[in-house]
Amino acid sequence: MKIQTIALNTFKEAIRDRILYLLFFFAAAALAFSRLLAVLAVGDRVKIIKDVGLASISIFGVLMAILIGTGLVYKEIDKKTIYTLLSKPIQRWQFLLGKFFGLVLTLFIMTLAMGLIFLVIVLLHTGKLEGRMLLAILFIFIELVLITAVSILFSCFSTPILSSIFSLSFYLIGHLSWGLETLIQKTRSGAARMALRGVSAILPDLENFNFKTEIVHGLAIDPRFYFFSALYGLVYTLFILALAVLIFKKRDFV
Amino acid sequence: MKTASARKKGSATLLIVLLLFLSCAGIIWVKLAVERVPRKKIPGASIIYIPSGKYLKYATFGYSSLVADLVYLWAIQYYTTYTIVDRFQNLEHIFSIIAELDPRYTDPYEIGALIAVNEAKDLKLAFKILDMGLAKNPDQWIFPFEAGHYAQRARDYETARKYYEKTMRIPGAPDIAKRLYAAAGFRVMDLKESWETWLEIYNTTQDKRAKKIAGKHLYQVKATSDTNLLKEAVRQFGEKYQRLPAALEDLVRAGLISSLPRDLDGKDYIYYPKTGEIKAPSVWWKR
Amino acid sequence: MAAVLEIDNLYKAFKVGFIPKKREILKGVSLSVAAGEIFGYLGPNGAGKTTTLKCVLGLIFPDRGKVAIFGHPPLAAKARENLGYLPENPYFYDYLTAAEFLDFYAQLFGLRKKDKEEKIATLLRLVGMEKARDLQLRKFSRGMLQRVGLAQALINDPALLFLDEPLGGLDPLGRKDLRDIIVRLKQEGKTIFLCSHILQDIEMICDRVAIIVGGRVISQGALQSLISEKVLFTEVTLSGIDPADLVDLGEPVSTLGDRILLKVFQEDNIGNLMALVHERRGRIHSLVPRTETLEDIFVEMVRQG
Repeated sequence: MKIQTIALNTFKEAIRDRILYLLFFFAAAALAFSRLLAVLAVGDRVKIIKDVGLASISIFGVLMAILIGTGLVYKEIDKKTIYTLLSKPIQRWQFLLGKFFGLVLTLFIMTLAMGLIFLVIVLLHTGKLEGRMLLAILFIFIELVLITAVSILFSCFSTPILSSIFSLSFYLIGHLSWGLETLIQKTRSGAARMALRGVSAILPDLENFNFKTEIVHGLAIDPRFYFFSALYGLVYTLFILALAVLIFKKRDFV
Repeated sequence: MKTASARKKGSATLLIVLLLFLSCAGIIWVKLAVERVPRKKIPGASIIYIPSGKYLKYATFGYSSLVADLVYLWAIQYYTTYTIVDRFQNLEHIFSIIAELDPRYTDPYEIGALIAVNEAKDLKLAFKILDMGLAKNPDQWIFPFEAGHYAQRARDYETARKYYEKTMRIPGAPDIAKRLYAAAGFRVMDLKESWETWLEIYNTTQDKRAKKIAGKHLYQVKATSDTNLLKEAVRQFGEKYQRLPAALEDLVRAGLISSLPRDLDGKDYIYYPKTGEIKAPSVWWKR
Repeated sequence: MAAVLEIDNLYKAFKVGFIPKKREILKGVSLSVAAGEIFGYLGPNGAGKTTTLKCVLGLIFPDRGKVAIFGHPPLAAKARENLGYLPENPYFYDYLTAAEFLDFYAQLFGLRKKDKEEKIATLLRLVGMEKARDLQLRKFSRGMLQRVGLAQALINDPALLFLDEPLGGLDPLGRKDLRDIIVRLKQEGKTIFLCSHILQDIEMICDRVAIIVGGRVISQGALQSLISEKVLFTEVTLSGIDPADLVDLGEPVSTLGDRILLKVFQEDNIGNLMALVHERRGRIHSLVPRTETLEDIFVEMVRQG
């Protein structure tokens, strides 16, 4: 109940943030631009539209998650609004979870809006309503949820600029999992290889949520893969949130 | 009545506005002038210097198919900029980058091969690109199909035949691939294979038109086979008897052939005793 | 009477700087607040007032020592449900209106809808902010924020109220209003813990005070017992007397034309002065005895500490 209060309040705060609308505007512009870009292609034009569309939703979603998420907790601490809040009978973890769910709700609405625009543009171009695209967008959203958790984690102890850099690094490292795999294969068996394997197990593998290419090409995907990816997202998010709660719990608000 | 200071402020503003106008006009004029200069390069040309698509994939952070699209779009602009004379140097490189980034994107393979054949006049490169496409997309019959066409156009029937055979084997390939294979087989004078393929087509096809075409080709193959046999027999006759046979029956009497072959309609082959020429009674494609 | 707030030997040090250097802020703070009183917590800047308060509210974790609110530790729900807090220089979510803001806090206490609306209306009336009910907080002046902050602190009808510099930045009318509200709250049976360095206000409304200097409570007790009724000196404004004649009687402070302001330290000299003025046909314009104020004690203690 208390988490819900904080969540709704956070949602109200995020939805009034100008950055959100700026990013949404750019996303819509990119989606519209995809139509123009497609004109340059020789051959299959829809692929260009789909690729640009999904990439826009992904990129701008990540930017929203990072730019707003890293300010969420920090602003409360910096502006001292957190003092009155935490003196009420609310536990610190409830506060943190409230912030998290508030931003997730905001991102859900934004992703939905961008997704609808995207589907309409694809519809205009192909005359078909491609429901499969929603699946790709769903997993983009799951990735956004994880990124939100990470942004909030960093927001607990770091300024927005540093938090943004850390969160962005998390995102980039998460997508370099292919590189790490190649590196592991090229390393000779031994301690170094084991260490690398350990590192690759803990590091986020955000490629798990990347179904963009497969869905655009209409390739079949094993439903087990979907299930495990979603589970991975859930568990990793839980891990990050637990870390955030731990750090936040013992923090002095000077 | 403006005071002296107000007048000064007014003229200062006027000066700034004038400056704005002039600079604006200047920008437009310079831009137009630059555009008239023929380009040696177009923006983004540094893509040429990327060593390998394999590593580029890592730098795209999950957006590899988007980057593939963008490189492809750029490549189209690049290769239609005719002022860049040495643009074909990197054709293979650029299209292999696109292939590494999004191997299942079919258009670039086709367009790359197209550019290679028509503009760079490099048939081998076209085959290389289409082979790459097939390797990464074994279910796409279009690649060996187009390769066959290019080979055929260049009158390299052996290669064309190879590609058409590859095409045939891919499920979902159009029936015409088989016919083209058979026809190419004929061109390289592999009459047996050609006959068998045409026969198979004739017997299995549901399409009336295809059956008719198969029939015509079967006639042609048999006619060629038969006329070759007869011509060889005539030659041997000439060696043995130092003269041309009076009629085709002479060849049988001489023991050079067991019996006179007849065309597919059962008609005899026409023999010109003065020149030794042998012709089929019907023109195969007029049947 | 059980102590509403009990602070026992609180220590807190902070690690400052990149190579952490320990800076001790609280060096053994102890005090206790009884129910129904207005308790003043004074000290110079940097003494540790706000740090003590944050330790009590669970915003900072002390290194050593104990805090009990109604006998419970600071983070316990039972403690939190009965306290209200107004921080120094309050800043709130500026995109909310006053009513939305109070509604938000009411929800955290789980108040039901009907109760909530009544409560919000009552509180806004109490702090004089009914007209600004639907105005966004970003448009509030400092004084308005302070008032609405007090409303927020009272949303759960707390038995114990913590106010950190509530009168700072208010105009004289605002300060009077707030003082009156605080006194009224005491009459309703609430206990109020007031941090301030505006000593005149403390003097006016507090029952007991504690003075903290350098991280330690150097004095604690009823206000009356700290301030003696002793008269320090008397300020006399007179005219028509030659300054030379006043030398033995008192210390001249200022002169404006014919008028002289004089500080008379010895009581006997007042009688002598009055006789002199009468004799020379001068005039006494005012006679004001100055007793020891809290400020005097405070300055003295700080200087000693």
